[in-house]
Amino acid sequence: MTEPVMLTVNGIDYRVNVDMGRNLLSVLRNELGLTGTKEGCDDSECGACMVLLDGQPVNSCSYLALQAQGRSVTTVEGLTPADGLHPLQRSLLEQGGVQCGFCTPGIIMSARALLDRNPSPSEEEIRIGLSGNLCRCTGYAKILAAVAQTASDG
Amino acid sequence: MPLLTESKHFIRPDGPDKVTGSGRYVADISLTGMLTAKFLYAGVSHARITRLDISAARQVPGVFAVLTQEDVPERRFGSVADRTLFAKDVVRFEGEVIAAVAAVDAEAAQQGLDAVVFEYEPLPAVTDLEAAIADGAQLVHEGWADYEAADVERDGNIASFTSMIRGDVEAGMAEADHVVSSRYVSDASQPAPIEPRGVLAQWEGDRVTIWSSTQVPFQARDGVCETLDLPTNRVRVIVPHMGGGFGGKCGFHYEAHVAALARAARRPVRLVFSRQEEFIAPDRRREGMIIEITTGLRNDGTLTARRARVLLDNGAYSSDASFFPHMAAMQTLGPYKIDNIHVEASSIYTNRQPSGSVRAPTAPQACWALESHTDELAAAIGMDPVAFRQQNCVDTGETGVAGQVYDEIGLQDCIREAVSAIDYSQELDENEAIGVAVGWWPSFPGPSGAFVKIDSDGKGVITTGAQECGTGSVMTLPILAAVELGMEPEDFELVYQDTSAAPYDEGATGSQTILNNGRATVEAAQQIAVQLKSLAAEKLEASPDDIVLADGKAHVAGSPELAVSIADLAGVAAEGEMLLGKGSGTPPEYPSAVGVDCIGDRGLSGWVGPQFSCHAVKIRLDRETGVVRVLDVSAAHDSGVIINPIGASGQVEGGVLMGIGQALTERTVYSEDGAQENPAFLDYKLQTIADAPPIRVHFVEIFTPGVGPHGSKPIAEAPNVATAAAISNAITKLVGRPVAQLPMTAERVWGLMQGRGGG
Repeated sequence: MTEPVMLTVNGIDYRVNVDMGRNLLSVLRNELGLTGTKEGCDDSECGACMVLLDGQPVNSCSYLALQAQGRSVTTVEGLTPADGLHPLQRSLLEQGGVQCGFCTPGIIMSARALLDRNPSPSEEEIRIGLSGNLCRCTGYAKILAAVAQTASDG
Repeated sequence: MPLLTESKHFIRPDGPDKVTGSGRYVADISLTGMLTAKFLYAGVSHARITRLDISAARQVPGVFAVLTQEDVPERRFGSVADRTLFAKDVVRFEGEVIAAVAAVDAEAAQQGLDAVVFEYEPLPAVTDLEAAIADGAQLVHEGWADYEAADVERDGNIASFTSMIRGDVEAGMAEADHVVSSRYVSDASQPAPIEPRGVLAQWEGDRVTIWSSTQVPFQARDGVCETLDLPTNRVRVIVPHMGGGFGGKCGFHYEAHVAALARAARRPVRLVFSRQEEFIAPDRRREGMIIEITTGLRNDGTLTARRARVLLDNGAYSSDASFFPHMAAMQTLGPYKIDNIHVEASSIYTNRQPSGSVRAPTAPQACWALESHTDELAAAIGMDPVAFRQQNCVDTGETGVAGQVYDEIGLQDCIREAVSAIDYSQELDENEAIGVAVGWWPSFPGPSGAFVKIDSDGKGVITTGAQECGTGSVMTLPILAAVELGMEPEDFELVYQDTSAAPYDEGATGSQTILNNGRATVEAAQQIAVQLKSLAAEKLEASPDDIVLADGKAHVAGSPELAVSIADLAGVAAEGEMLLGKGSGTPPEYPSAVGVDCIGDRGLSGWVGPQFSCHAVKIRLDRETGVVRVLDVSAAHDSGVIINPIGASGQVEGGVLMGIGQALTERTVYSEDGAQENPAFLDYKLQTIADAPPIRVHFVEIFTPGVGPHGSKPIAEAPNVATAAAISNAITKLVGRPVAQLPMTAERVWGLMQGRGGG
């Protein structure tokens, strides 16, 4: 059964008719065309689908679109400035923290949430903040360096 | 020194697409009228099909096509031609595709699958390697002798076989002061890329375009052509961005299934795997192994002989696994000096998921066994394991196990660097230990091609058949072109991953991109350099031989002020003979092995450009629980001259962490009848950032002639060889004996401390 749902995503209001059981990830990708958010496991295990909900990181694969009604959703597309790159995006590229790139949007969203609440995290705090995001390529060393660089650049 | 020290902050050209989310992966692409594909899997490991009826499924509303093997040409494929697109008569593993449905959405596709009538009579599942090769064993492929496989001996359930025999192993054992025997057993593990695979196919007239998350687009295309009876010029495979492979997306997989569905449905069709499918269905897992090694040595540490027997779990089909026995045999011998060897390795059919290339296939398991055994050898004569390796590992000019004499190699330097970086002689807590292991891995020469052009404004395009799986190897090609032409890497755009646009390449497999496509790109760029020098010579009234290309200009040697910009020359060329280069080059030849009898199905005579490594790890053991935590890693690698330092160190860091996962947590658990019990990230644990130790990377940069461009050797797989072995050796120091089972889970380590298990 479909329901009209009002979603605010990256500052834009959308009205979509969705099945009540649809997850937020599927609506973002298939109804709104925001494919920067990825599906890696549909099980809240990999973090590729991480988005911010009122600034808090959530696995959008395990969150109903209906629950996001009236709240502010931010995806990687919303974090990217009109010109150039967000400092996290730039640091990840400079440090070599991007390989296949499939986990990257989710990692950026988790890192953004971390830095928003803790602008100068310790290495341990970065590790905890990103522990919900799996990366199979990098061994995480350069991701850690990129988040630390972003923090120290302010 | 790296080729480009300034490339330390080289930004990979595909990076901005990936960090902004604007880059498209297969699952991100939708076409008008597109249908959703779903597969019906066997769900049983071994059975004879008694009834398969899709007539009701075809009537389900929203279903546009339902296919089985009846609907596609009768073709067997794979390295020994042992499988068909869909199950035919017999199913041999749980993830075998029985039928495929294309429907308007996932729900309708599922209803279509539910309406397929599939009945079967179970057959005994072959899951035990020793039992599978015993007399009278149930055969996985009863009709195997009739398959049209080239150059493969057929013997019961032995899918492929290698022996390596050199010297006199009996005499060598007789000379020994000690003979040490070990038996190691490794479980299967998974490549587990974070992107589950996707395939999208669209027909226009009699031509099909297939977007696939494959590591090997040309092999995928050729597989479609072979199984659907199509010429290569009617099948175009395009890979958009690809979310990691690690070998899991090598080979030909589901492109033909989806193309056949799209043709039958007369609509574009897209398949996207769930995580569970990604675990169960592909013919690419890292095989389980039994490794038995016996080595003779003298009191002074000299190795006198080695005998080994390796059994590999081939799974139900031989995707590309037929060369694995050779690779496992070489890993069981290692980069050591031993004159008397006798190794036999067999890959054995079972009713489990097929094995196939996963990053450095066979190496992490076999190296883990060999290097754990090597520490046992050192212990037998009371020698320090590092000194033991320094004495016995090959060095420049020495002869390796296959009789090959090695040119400039840096294994001894790797040992020295790794041990020094981790501070091997540091004082350790009683629950801490440092383990060390060496590794090696070959380079794989092959055909490859690239086109390079410079347009009228002096900007270039490299059109390459090479495939980027995330490592950054394709992203490194602009560095190579820029060096030849005195330009900047940023001056080049890449067109890649399109079989209709670019010449053939073997793909993101065997760490071969820079070795082979680098050679092709350099050759193509060199042709343009000749053109530019000729144009500049005319303009500057000098001989072309005296023209130097540097800093975006062509200048007369010794007179940098006599210069013309490459952009100006490109403008001139655009009016006449254009700046176009094409390259493929001649792949390096395999060196011959000397004095070794190599009998078997598929093997290499010698190894081109072997890459060497030494990994040293510091661990802490929780004696209450058996949990091992890796605290520090140093990884020293001889991969020749490093072209792209940031990319190369990223390969080592990623390879080491994958090795830690294989060492401690990554394990596919099977039920007695061959079904996977943990096909999910919750139960199959990858390492997280919270688990990841610091990894100190050191490159022993030796100019290596005759392998890759600029004295380079490959790098992507080599880091995934020695880590589990080094961890094993550290654990042994704390618990007294090797765990001898891989992964070395907390339960197994704890069990060993309680006197159970172990080698």
